[in-house]
Amino acid sequence: MSKRNAILASATRLFSRNGFQGTGMAELSTITGAATGTIFHHFKNKEDLFLQVLNDVKESILDQFDRHQQTRRDQKGIERVEGVIAFYLNLAGSMEDQFLILHRHYPYQMAKTNPVCRSHLESIYTCLLDIFEEGIQKGIQDGSVAVEAPRQTAMVLFAMVDGIVRLNTYRVYDAGTLYDSLMVACRRLLKGGR
Amino acid sequence: MSVIAIFSGIFCSADAVVRDVMDSTGYRMITDDQIIAKAAETSGMPENKVQRAFSAKTSVFNKFTHEKECSIACLRLALATELEKGPAVVHGFSSLLIPQSVSHMLRVCIIAETPYRIEQAAVVQGLAEKDALKQIRTQDVDNAAWTETLFSAKDPWDINLYDMVLPMNRVNVAKAGALIEENLIKDAVRRTNASIQAEKDFVLAATAEMALCRAGHDVSVTAENGAVVLTINKQVLMLTRLEEELKTITGTIPGVRSVNTQIGKDFHRTHIYRKHSFEVPSRVLLVDDEREFVQTLSERLELREMGSAVAYDGESALTLVAEDDPEVMIIDLKMPGIDGMEILKQVKTTRPEIEVIVLTGHGSEADRKQCMQLGAFAYMQKPVDIDELSETLKKAHEKIQRFKP
Repeated sequence: MSKRNAILASATRLFSRNGFQGTGMAELSTITGAATGTIFHHFKNKEDLFLQVLNDVKESILDQFDRHQQTRRDQKGIERVEGVIAFYLNLAGSMEDQFLILHRHYPYQMAKTNPVCRSHLESIYTCLLDIFEEGIQKGIQDGSVAVEAPRQTAMVLFAMVDGIVRLNTYRVYDAGTLYDSLMVACRRLLKGGR
Repeated sequence: MSVIAIFSGIFCSADAVVRDVMDSTGYRMITDDQIIAKAAETSGMPENKVQRAFSAKTSVFNKFTHEKECSIACLRLALATELEKGPAVVHGFSSLLIPQSVSHMLRVCIIAETPYRIEQAAVVQGLAEKDALKQIRTQDVDNAAWTETLFSAKDPWDINLYDMVLPMNRVNVAKAGALIEENLIKDAVRRTNASIQAEKDFVLAATAEMALCRAGHDVSVTAENGAVVLTINKQVLMLTRLEEELKTITGTIPGVRSVNTQIGKDFHRTHIYRKHSFEVPSRVLLVDDEREFVQTLSERLELREMGSAVAYDGESALTLVAEDDPEVMIIDLKMPGIDGMEILKQVKTTRPEIEVIVLTGHGSEADRKQCMQLGAFAYMQKPVDIDELSETLKKAHEKIQRFKP
């Protein structure tokens, strides 16, 4: 791992655990063994470092979903959506630091004034919602899904799944126990009330 | 052949001026009531809800329902369609809904100094000075809220909003009518191709606004030659997506040539709420059969910028609760018919989110206990210190804000 990537990996951990304000360059230097000068050589300032972390989060999440999507071409729409939900939950568990950053408030505050931050976040959410919507659209075509507004349904569905992840992230509840109920609810939502 | 848009204060002889102008021009009259009825019909919303758009009191639930914005959208559409039928005198709140680009419109404001209005109130309705002042104040609050909603102008009589302002304490009715007619034949208010197009665009923009409102969006809409511009005022991260959706909805409306979106000036502001919705409750319902006491209390709360409504008996209090969404209620215990304890019980069962302050003259310790058990926010004895009551109201408001979803 290059020095730069090592710094990024530790920074991801620190930002996700301690927040933006709570992350100090001195601490990062101690953990990585890189002199603060070296850190500032690679990253202009703390904000720049955070934006790189966010960019990394974006790329790794999108990359994971890309690979997941490649293998599911021949599934029915509804199965695809179910697969995406399961994968999202799984990923949230294996990439906890990255998801925790997305579930913190400060990136969204920063997005109000920082266009780069804003664009990273927008890409992440657009991509995730597109994947949900794609499955729903496919399901409408093959008859496995019956909803009127695919785009809005994708958003409702995503909010539900992401909400469950939050329960887990903040240790509100063991989300694993809700998995079955979530799947039942999603299936019901997708098959329509008719 | 033009449009005369008249916005007026209460007790300023505006009706007489309107009659005079209609007599001499032969124009038909468009009133708020007609527009409300039409708007209610096309939108399917009940008339009293549409009418609430003209009131300074916004339902506390408006943030979620967008009822006010929807009402304004359908009022605009109703008026725009009505205007297409030809020249008219539009008198009332609706008159301010016509966009300035409709240049064959003479915008008139009829207002007067307070002494003139008090005198008129006595002549026309036989009102005492105190009652006249109260009505004037209530109406002016609504007027100010309306111009603020539409133009962010706190002064409803601001000269910049009109082509002419007629101070009725200085011109009489006949002279006012003559002045309007004089200005009506000026070139500036003639119908031109551009102004006729602007009238069509007004209909188009109103139609789009209505469609967007129905889908739950809150954007301002303008149109020029069929090119629609949507202004997004709410902060949204997934802006591209929102823009796509807005464009999809608007694009299907006949007559729309193009749709563009832009970001409004409030987009980057974190809080776009008005300040009054924060520190103090804006909707207090006072229930007491001692009329004199409750009126005075209402006025004193008003001085502290707390808007209040008054009910003199339990039955009308419960009706107001159902219709008017109060935030906080202040109730007396001893009243004929449905008494305070019963109101408290019913309100806390059906509308637990409303905080109830019990204010009573002859309550016992047992009463206090029972009230608190039933879920009252506070129990206070008359005579009450107004500062102490304001403090309690603020605390109730804070509690409501905290538990708001």
